[in-house]
Amino acid sequence: MSSLRLFTSAARKASSLRTFGRRGYAEANDKLKLSLVLPHESIFTSTDVVQVNIAAEAGDMGILANHVPSIEPLRPGVVEVIETNGASKKWFTSSGFATVHPNNRLTINVVEAASLEKFSLEAVRANLAEALKVASGSGSETDKAEARVEADVYEALQHALAK
Amino acid sequence: MSSWRNFFTYNKYSQITARALRASFTEQERVAAERRGLTILKFQRWENGLGGTQIPLAEEEARLKEAVGKSS
Repeated sequence: MSSLRLFTSAARKASSLRTFGRRGYAEANDKLKLSLVLPHESIFTSTDVVQVNIAAEAGDMGILANHVPSIEPLRPGVVEVIETNGASKKWFTSSGFATVHPNNRLTINVVEAASLEKFSLEAVRANLAEALKVASGSGSETDKAEARVEADVYEALQHALAK
Repeated sequence: MSSWRNFFTYNKYSQITARALRASFTEQERVAAERRGLTILKFQRWENGLGGTQIPLAEEEARLKEAVGKSS
């Protein structure tokens, strides 16, 4: 029985060598190397993880091992990392890019990120009210656009903290 | 949704979102974080091999904002 399994797994690996570039799904115990970096801090540097959920501009996505290479701009939202021991950790990120490289590496570059307990819901609510006031006020268009961007961040933060 | 592209660059957008995040920290975190948002930059214009006056960037931005406000 075990020899049969060894044979099939060897055949699968051999075929993946011959058809390099052919995409497939992640196996159950495949890991990808995550680097989650900020300008002032590296949260992960080439650490093996199982899955990373990101909030991309195009929508939320979960990235497993052997993902197709892609570059995704991130919107202000939650990045969740599921590590090899099954523990899942969340960070709220400001904005940046998630890049899946061809060699099974995922690099997430964001300007600011912090775990959810570092935020104060009161501050978020107050900031959101302030930003909405400016966005619908009578300032210049640039100020209103800035306030709308900030309001988006606060709304996403409020949504993330409420869960 | 991304109407901000008419007004500023992606660089400015990322600074705005980072600033919004830092403003939402708890009191303790905010003390350490505020310093990260600080940018002190001076620039000077060079012409014919001579440097002009050194102007802090914050002053220049405030001046430009006022000029835009007057013209609009």
